[in-house]
Amino acid sequence: MEFDGQIVLKGISLDIYENEFVTLLGPSGCGKTTLLRILGGFLDATEGQVLFDGEDISKVPAYKREINTVFQKYALFPHLNVYDNIAFGLKIKKEPRDIIEQKVMRMLKLVGLEDFGKRRVTEMSGGQQQRVAIARALVNEPKVLLLDEPLGALDLKLRKEMQLELKKIQKEVGITFIFVTHDQEEALTMSDKIVVMRSGEIQQTGTPIDIYNEPKNRFVANFIGESNIIDGIMKADKRVMFEDKVFDCVDSGFGTDEPVEVVIRPEDIDIVGFNQGKLNGTVKSVLFKGVHYETIVETRLGTTITVEMSVYESKPVCNQAADEEMSANDFYLDVTDIPELTKADIIARANAQAWKSSKDELVSITKVEYDIEPKKGSYPVTFHTAAGTMMSVEMIVEDVNKVESENEIIYAVNINKDIDDIRESIALDTDLKTWANAQAWTADGEEPIAITDVEYDFDQESIHAGKYRITFKTRGYEYKIDTTDEHNVGEKVGLDFTPDDLHIMKLSGNV
Amino acid sequence: MKSFRKLVYPYLLWAIIMIVIPMLMILVYAFTDEGNSVRNFVFSLGSFRRFFSDTVFLVVLRRSIYIAVLTTVFCVLLGYPMAYAMAKSRFKIHLVLLVTIPTWINMLVRTYAWRGMLDNNGLINNFLGFFGIAPLKFLETTFAVVLGMVYNFIPFMILQIYTSLEKLDKSLLEAASDLGANRLQRFLKVTLPLSVPGIISGITLVFLPAVSSFFIPKLLGGGQYVLIGNVIENQFLTAGDWSFGSAISLIMAVIIIISMYITRSLDKKTNPEGGDD
Repeated sequence: MEFDGQIVLKGISLDIYENEFVTLLGPSGCGKTTLLRILGGFLDATEGQVLFDGEDISKVPAYKREINTVFQKYALFPHLNVYDNIAFGLKIKKEPRDIIEQKVMRMLKLVGLEDFGKRRVTEMSGGQQQRVAIARALVNEPKVLLLDEPLGALDLKLRKEMQLELKKIQKEVGITFIFVTHDQEEALTMSDKIVVMRSGEIQQTGTPIDIYNEPKNRFVANFIGESNIIDGIMKADKRVMFEDKVFDCVDSGFGTDEPVEVVIRPEDIDIVGFNQGKLNGTVKSVLFKGVHYETIVETRLGTTITVEMSVYESKPVCNQAADEEMSANDFYLDVTDIPELTKADIIARANAQAWKSSKDELVSITKVEYDIEPKKGSYPVTFHTAAGTMMSVEMIVEDVNKVESENEIIYAVNINKDIDDIRESIALDTDLKTWANAQAWTADGEEPIAITDVEYDFDQESIHAGKYRITFKTRGYEYKIDTTDEHNVGEKVGLDFTPDDLHIMKLSGNV
Repeated sequence: MKSFRKLVYPYLLWAIIMIVIPMLMILVYAFTDEGNSVRNFVFSLGSFRRFFSDTVFLVVLRRSIYIAVLTTVFCVLLGYPMAYAMAKSRFKIHLVLLVTIPTWINMLVRTYAWRGMLDNNGLINNFLGFFGIAPLKFLETTFAVVLGMVYNFIPFMILQIYTSLEKLDKSLLEAASDLGANRLQRFLKVTLPLSVPGIISGITLVFLPAVSSFFIPKLLGGGQYVLIGNVIENQFLTAGDWSFGSAISLIMAVIIIISMYITRSLDKKTNPEGGDD
């Protein structure tokens, strides 16, 4: 299926049976609505067939299909009242008046709007309009009802009510509902069958329980509920290794030493005493979520690197003739940065700025003069403005400062900073990362790894000139665990789980 | 919001000087006798008595309304399909421009051009002459007057209907087709009813200028074809009877107010929640 030259759906093959409540679930843009519109007859698929009771209906126009739709924004006719909206389809079919009245009344009763027949639809609340839209579709006695994110516009409480109500209506009328949503909880609550979609492809089809407990890949596991996904290696059938330990599991059929991903749901892990579980770790954070605490336990620390920051007080260069001032600081580089160094980099790293003295108005730096060689040493760089204000600072080239661990490398350089730059920083952690050029990569240098923590022991507001140590950290192995007991941050704990809490997935590339 | 309220003042001043005061003067003139002099008012219903007792004026009034109704009907019949095609077209902006461009040239000039074309030795008759059709008399006929009016006023109708069709929610048409309506039924049951407000404001914009127009009948209808606008013009410019002119103007104003009231209530009936925007 192509749309505006973009392939929106590819290789969709899906069987839907009578009386099923099927949910198409996926993030926005995954093609679920497109698929629904093809079923409804509002879009033509560039390839493929839509079979309905064994007949190809791909070329049958929407108005001849035995399918009705509840539209995303209901699409009620504003010029008609509730009764006439619901009767619309029956009047088109020229059914006798008394039959129409009977059927409409029955529908109004089904959706609990008996007394609202004469109301204008524009005077009704979102939830009521929703019911009218459902009644308007169902009154035609379709074999399939399509619902395009019908609960999206309702508030949480009403949405929960309507979920139950829709399920009840579906049971009562006994037809197939095909429901589109991006809300995984909605899908789990209502469906007989969930179809998880991503980028126009079906990722997995199954019952809510199957999909939750046996996700096929990382995407499904992440999209349906929360999960911990750990890289592992299959040692043998029902034996999986992760965190350098081998655990029993219940999955088999993988190759020996095949790399896999292991899913453990947060509610399946128990926190026990230190050394009493299968893994040990430290509580990193605890978040109160109402029914439970979301506790993050770190079992292995990330990679860390520490750099030195020299803080000084500087006076800007003053050019009274041009009414301009300029400031910049010395900065550190490592040898490998030099080939890729651009003027914009230099300005950013030196934090070079020029401004009008009388007004607080920035002036652009028009020229950057520097001469650098790819070896250790100190090299001057001079910044100029158009009006002739200039300032020189040093670029200090040092050996690469890096820390390598088993699978990661982390880099950072020392920092030289004016005291005001630190005080005025709006997002200090991010700025420190930029100033120190802190980066972490996988051991093969292919993929960047996020630096999640920046640690330092000064107070941003009251910092004095001097030398400070700054530590950058990547995330270690973390487990999200739902517990009913509150744990303290920093507490040493053990983690326990049973073999059937582990679910093994084939590796699914980047998600 | 309060500070913006002051922006109203310049227009308010303008409206008082240029609209309210002249209207009051018309009112005063209409109820006085030969009241060209502002100093001595004598209340009189003479002008009204004269208008309603002389059948000539009533005939003219009836003719004016007839022409205006005819014009409005043609504007709807020709304008609706055009507006519909525009709203569906991929070249919306170009078509809107095409409809608006004629209004960039003065109405009077364009009407003069029609005069040239419709003349006995004009463009059209010359063309017909090639096929051996004898010169047809176009000027000084109802046809010419209605043609001139439709030509001049139809852009207002098209643009009003176009706007209402343009903002029609496409999902409503999908909903209708989902409920079994074919193209024709979709148009009759959804598109048409929802474009009624556009038609009604189009009617207002066409009917009002048409019923009081005086230069179109003058240019295309010739001296023979007198409409109420011409009578009013005559009373002020030629006959110099300001009282009678004002009285006719007032009668026209009342007729217009009544017809506006009727269209408004029609609009309310078809589209109760959108009637006030």
